[in-house]
Order: sequence, then structure tokens, then C-alpha cells
Amino acid sequence: MADQYISMDTLRYLLYQVHGLEQLLEKPRFQDFDKEAIDIYLNSVKSFSDEELFPYFREMDEKPVVYEDGKVIVHPQIQKIMQQSSEMGLIGGTFDYEQGGMQMPYTVLTAAYFIMDAANNHVPGYPGLTDGAAHLIVSFGEQELQEMFVPKMISGDWGGTMCLTEPQAGSSLSDISTTAYPQPDGRYKIKGQKIFISGGDTQFSENIVHLLLARVEGAPPGTKGVSLFVVPKNRPVPGGGLEPNDVTSVADFPKMGQRGYATVHLAFGDQDDCYGWLVGEENKGLGYMFQMMNGARIAVGRAGAAVATAAYYASLQYANERPQGRKLRSDGKKDPSEGQTLIINHPDVRRMLLLQKAIWEGSLSLVLQSAVLYDWETVSEGEEREQHRLLLELLTPVTKTYPSEMGRESVSNGLQVLGGYGFCSEFVLQQYYRDVRIMAIYEGTTGIQSLDLLGRKIPMKQGQALKLLAADMQATIKEAMAYDELKPYAQVLGEKMQLNQKVLEFLMPFAMKGDYERFLSDATVFMEFFGTILIAWQWLKMALKAKQGLLTGDKTYTPEFYESKIHTMKFYFKYEMPKTNALAQTLMDEEVLTIAREKELIG
Amino acid sequence: MKILVCVSHVPDTTTKIQFESDGSALNKTGVTFVINPYDEFGLSRAIGFKEEGKSVNITVLCVGGPEVEPTLRKALAIGADDAVRINTQANDPAYVAAQIASYAEGKEFDLIFTGKESIDYNGSTVPGMLAEHLLWPFVSFATKMDLQDEERAVLHREVDGGEEVVETSLPVVVSCQKGIAEWRIPNMRGIMAARKKPLAVVSPAEITPYFQTVRYNYPPPKGECVYFEPDQAGKLIETLAQKGLI
Ligand SMILES: Cc1cc2nc3c(=O)[nH]c(=O)nc-3n(C[C@H](O)[C@H](O)[C@H](O)COP(=O)(O)OP(=O)(O)OC[C@H]3O[C@@H](n4cnc5c(N)ncnc54)[C@H](O)[C@@H]3O)c2cc1C
Repeated sequence: MADQYISMDTLRYLLYQVHGLEQLLEKPRFQDFDKEAIDIYLNSVKSFSDEELFPYFREMDEKPVVYEDGKVIVHPQIQKIMQQSSEMGLIGGTFDYEQGGMQMPYTVLTAAYFIMDAANNHVPGYPGLTDGAAHLIVSFGEQELQEMFVPKMISGDWGGTMCLTEPQAGSSLSDISTTAYPQPDGRYKIKGQKIFISGGDTQFSENIVHLLLARVEGAPPGTKGVSLFVVPKNRPVPGGGLEPNDVTSVADFPKMGQRGYATVHLAFGDQDDCYGWLVGEENKGLGYMFQMMNGARIAVGRAGAAVATAAYYASLQYANERPQGRKLRSDGKKDPSEGQTLIINHPDVRRMLLLQKAIWEGSLSLVLQSAVLYDWETVSEGEEREQHRLLLELLTPVTKTYPSEMGRESVSNGLQVLGGYGFCSEFVLQQYYRDVRIMAIYEGTTGIQSLDLLGRKIPMKQGQALKLLAADMQATIKEAMAYDELKPYAQVLGEKMQLNQKVLEFLMPFAMKGDYERFLSDATVFMEFFGTILIAWQWLKMALKAKQGLLTGDKTYTPEFYESKIHTMKFYFKYEMPKTNALAQTLMDEEVLTIAREKELIG
Repeated sequence: MKILVCVSHVPDTTTKIQFESDGSALNKTGVTFVINPYDEFGLSRAIGFKEEGKSVNITVLCVGGPEVEPTLRKALAIGADDAVRINTQANDPAYVAAQIASYAEGKEFDLIFTGKESIDYNGSTVPGMLAEHLLWPFVSFATKMDLQDEERAVLHREVDGGEEVVETSLPVVVSCQKGIAEWRIPNMRGIMAARKKPLAVVSPAEITPYFQTVRYNYPPPKGECVYFEPDQAGKLIETLAQKGLI
């Protein structure tokens, strides 16, 4: 197995140079942190990942989660990791001090989870979902609810999940049918089925706290009738202790990837003895749940970027070791008496490596951009806060989707670098390829994210989020124009922003006319178009800081490091950006081929 | 009980080492520094004494400029109580040993831990010289250490083909080897607490450095790798013979 799965240098470069983490640390909320502490912390997470996650990566795939005698059996390492996650601040670390947290910046937590995802993407969901579930309770739950559940979750003793999906309600949460029956004591009896629940059960969990969407009996149909409940596997009893809460694990879904990460089918209330506690108010559950879903969407993007990173390093190592063929001389001939060259010397292999680098670093940069916005939203007030919120809302579906979709493309190229060995189980690339595939599916498929982007986020508040984004992008362009080497790329980005405007001017009238089906029919094509432009923006930012680092002689990184950032930016603009023209052409084509008509032509 | 743990600030083992163009010094551009891993063993063992219920104060010490402070902070995050930086460049092992001895003299430490060597210059000489300055016993390459009481300790040390068990009086200088304790990863609370722990900067004693490094040379470059096809065994033998290797 490859030795390297991540570049800590690039991670730090993105955090400090590109996304200005240190400015954030000046805010009172983060006064107990400084760069030194964060460096120590991230190095600790790396050591933790080296020792406790990475060595088990292949094993978790080969010995996947199993369902036996009504129990979900996961790899024993998960228990150890849950306990240590608490100490590492991975559960509850970002919460307020009063909530038992450490007020860690979310950006730092994101960086920490990124390291773990790259080391072993089967694992971070266990503490990650526990953190998200506990955060929902502290954000919207009554004090009593917080005291009952949160401390044990933060300590890593109890797990947490998000229970949304039902057999008939996946993408469409308005069709949820799990029902909550009000009880005289203020609790609710819960009845229903949830499927695909990540981390839904393990053999060692003393308890699992499910954050569950259900409909209170008689609630209005659609999303307006959905409420949020805390439904534990074992319920606390007055005077201390726990008793079973009639939550049954019916199955664990065997999967093509992430096989160490439990995906459980749960039945609630089969014996009519399952109780839940309402979070916040009735019928407002989906709104609350969006807090966890937005966090999870950034987390999925982060994991997509991370798997692509690990696959890149595995393929890079191979390319540096595998001799094959001879270098083509400039006269087009090869000298067979010459020894074989390493495949990294073939331009096409270099192209595949550069493509991977462009994708994972671009993706990670976008993920951290969103994380930083989240922190700025947390520490600011009034109009400024609203602006950060809007921008983050706009970026979230892209942050989820680009790393998921293009991460898969990146890993596929990594696999290709290994030739036949890439397809063989003995090498790790095929596992990354299988693992990364889920990213475009869970937490809202690419189709659903694209509808969210074009249908909600772009038009939101008369396009205000898009205007804010355009202003930020223009600021980067303006700064980059000052450097001759970057100027042509800055110009291209400016042109693409205009092209985006043109595409929207073509599409928006459909919405205004009320033809939403036409407006949104190519939403996923728009996502690809828009995402490609956003990553170009991230690359221009990275290249800009690299250029400045070179010119000022900043010795934090070597000149080769800075030059490689500029080089990869150029690669991205040359090889990826032209695709936006083709996508725009498709988007602005009058002909409609995907909308169902009376006569079925797919068959 | 007072324990002094000496830590050095060394390039991470994954770092590609480069020298300045005139070969006079390490080029630190882009280099990540860490606590010398063997020193971390000593620190872990010292914390272990605490966990065994002994009343222990752990001071970590590093000889170096302000750039070594992150290493001291990390040691505090792992669990040391306070830190000292002797504000001078660690010019040579004898100089470093003399500086540490001069600091430790009269401070009533019961035990000084060092690593068996630092992974940058691999001198392995500081602890021996330090013990000599202090006129204390010195146990090198320790793989296990238990305290019998306030005044005596039993140590295991690695020797060729086996181990040696020694008993020594305190105070003592011990150089640590793998086995004496497990490394510890600092956690977030430890890291936050470390920011509030004292880190004293003390002036160096007036000691003249003993020697000056003139130049570093890279090892000779490795030869080109030659590949032979499976059916070229004859050619392989011929080549090895030509090179005088068989
Ligand atoms: C490994 C794994 C882990 C999971 N973890 C969790 C979890 O922890 N908690 C949880 O609640 N759920 C979880 N899920 C469920 C996951 O979120 C859903 O599978 C996903 O949202 C899609 O729902 P579905 O499977 O019902 O597919 P469907 O909704 O049936 O979608 C099928 C296809 O139709 C498309 N489609 C559906 N509706 C529309 C539309 N309106 N417009 C355009 N296209 C549409 C989709 O994009 C997709 O391509 C998990 C799933 C998996 C596989």
C-alpha cells in the first residue's frame, strides 16, 4: 500500500495562505487558539490517522460490516476511534464552551476530518455524524434534552445518526411516513422504518442517538408537516440507567464501497414501545435538520476530495516506480537499446497526474472556502453575517457535488495510471474507486444538489448570493491581473463569469414564465458548468498566493511548491475550462430532449 | 520528584534534506520540524510516572532560538508542566550538554531524560557529556524504567543480542530508546491547556562553542538503475562481473 495519502503542506497552504485562517483566529470566539496550537493539533490528527485509521483501510474493505443475529458487527477499531475522537475534539469540538465544546473553528475541524477521510474514509462518519447529531440537539433542543443526551455523545460513548430516508422517501423527504404519536407525558411514540442509516448501529454502542424525521399524527402533508425527534436505541430512565427503546436493526446493506461504514435498516416501534423526544417545535423539523444536512454536504465534498487525494498519492508513487516503454524522442523514434523509462515520464501519464492534482486540490480549496465562510458567519453580525450565510448557501451544493463527481473522475484517472494493476484487488486504487462512488449519491444526489443550486440558491433573494460571489471572484481577478504571468488566466475567468451570466439570462425566463420543468431540466449540466468555473476561481486564488510567495521570497514553502501551484492552475485552465463552452452550448440549446412527452421515446 | 526532559527540534523524517548552496548549513525552506522522536519516549515515560500516582513535575527543555518554541509547546500539550528554552543556537553537542548542565545545576532534578540520539545529526553524545558535567550516573539506551523509591531506579537497556538490567541511584541521566514508553498524541484539550503553561526563556551560560561545522556534503549520487528482461540472465552476470561485484 502507498505510504503517503495526503499533503500536509498543501493543507496548511490552503488554510493559512489561501483562506486566511489566521484572520479568523483574531476574533474573540477563537481567542484560545493560535496558529501554533492548530499546527500541533493537525499534526496530532495526522499521527492519529497514521496509527489508528490508515493501517485498517484495506482490512475494513476485506472484512466489511456484517449483520448477524440481529446485530450490526463493525470493525473493532471503530470503538477505539470513537473514544479517541472525543479527546481530539472531533465530537463537539466546535460547540460553545457552555455547551461542553471548545469553540474550535469549524475550518480546523474540517481540515482534521479531511486528514482522516484521506487515511480511511470508512471511519470518520461515525464521529462525524455523532458530532452533527449532538449539534442539532444543542442548537434546537430543550435544556433537558441536551443534558440527557449530549454529554455522552461528546464523550464518544454514544453514537449519533441522521434518520431521514425511508423506502419510499429518499430524494423526496416530503413523502416521509414515519409517524409520531403525542403522549400525555410530552414524549411521542414513534412508528416507522428508516433505511440506509449510516452508523445506525454497532455491536459495542451503549447507545445510538437517532435524529429522526417523522410526521406527528395528523400533520399537514409535505415538508411542512415534518418534525424532528431524538429517538435513542436505549432510552434513559428516571433515576439513571437505560432501557431498550424498541429500535431494531433489521439489516445492514452490503455495499460496493465504504464497506466498513455501517448502512443500517432500522425499524422503530415494532412492539409499540419506541419513544422519541421532540426537538424544537412540531412541523419545523426539516428546517432544523437542514443544519445537519448542510454540514453533512460539506463533509461529503470533503470526503470526495480526500479520497481523490489518497488515490493521487498512490498513483503518483506507482508512476515514480513503474518502468515501461521508452521516452519518445523529438524525432518521433524510440531507441529499444535504451533502458525502459519510468511511466511518469510519459506525457499522458503526467496529464493524468496533473488532472488528479487539479481536481483534488481545487476541491479541497472549495471545501475549505465553505468552511471558512461558516466560521465567518458564526463570528459576524448583522448584514455581514447575512452575506456570509447567503454565500455559503450558494456554495454548499457545489461543495458537495464537484468533489464527489470530479473526485470519481480523478480516482478513475489514478486507477488508469496503474494500467492493469489498477483493476486488480492487490492494488488499492480499485478500492478508492469503489469508495468514492457513494459521494455523488448520499446526502442528496447530484441531481438533487443541482436542482437546489439552480432552482433555489441562484434565484434566492433576487440573485443576491450570486452577486456576492461575483464580487468575491472579481476581487481575485483584479488582484491577479497585476501579475503578467496570471493575467491571461484572470481574463479567462472574467469571460467565464460573463458566460455564466449569459446562460442564466437564457434559463431564467423559463422560470419567470412558470415553466420550471424546462428551467431545471438541465440543472445537472448547469452544476457541472458552474462548478468548473468555481474551481477555476479557487485555482486562481491558489496561484495568486503562490506568485506572491515567490516574489516576496516567503520561505514557508520551497519555490518548487509555489511553482507547482501556478503550473497546476495553468493545467486546469487549459484542460478543464474549455469544457464550459460546450456545456454552455448544451444549456443554451433551444431543443429539448430530456423532458418526458406523451410518446415514450426511451425504451 | 522533579524530572527534566531534554527535547530537540529536528526536521521531520519525511523531509527532503537540502543544504544552502555553499554547503554550510541546512536549508530550512519548507522544512517541517518535529520533536525528536526518541526524546518523546522520555517525555511519555515521565508522564507515565505521573499516571502511576507519583508526585512529579515535568520540565521540558530545549536549547535553541524562538523557532524551537512550537516543539516545546507540543511537549507541554502532551503533558509536561513547564518549559524552558535556553536562548542560543545548538551549535554542537558538547556546547548543548554544557548549556543543559549549567541550567540543571542546583535545581534539584531527580532525573534527566534525553533521547538515545537526535535524528538530525545522530551524535548520541549529549546525555553522556551531560552526566559527566553533573557527575551523575548515566544509563544509555534504556528500554524500560521503574522507580523503586525516591532514590533508586531499575532500568533495562539494550545491549548487543540481549538486554542488561541495571539498578542506579538517583539523580541519573537516562537516554531513551524505543520500548521505554509509547508515544502519545496530544489531544485538543491538552493543546489548549499548553498555551497557558509557563515557557521560560533563559539566557545561555557563557560557554564558547567547541567546534564549527565547515561544510556538509551530499552522499555520492546513486547510479542509474539498469533493468534486465527475464531472458537476459547472461547479460546480468556479465555486467556484475564487469563491475567486479561477482
Ligand atoms: C451508503 C449510504 C448511506 C446513506 N446514509 C444515510 C443516512 O445516514 N441517513 C439517511 O437518512 N439516508 C442515508 N442514505 C440515503 C441517501 O441519502 C439516499 O439514498 C439518497 O438521498 C437517494 O435516495 P434514494 O436512494 O431513495 O433514490 P431516489 O430518490 O429514488 O433517486 C433515484 C434517482 O432519481 C433521481 N431523482 C429523484 N428525484 C428526483 C427529482 N425530483 N428530480 C430529478 N431527479 C430525481 C435521483 O437523483 C437518482 O438519480 C444513505 C444511502 C447510502 C447508499
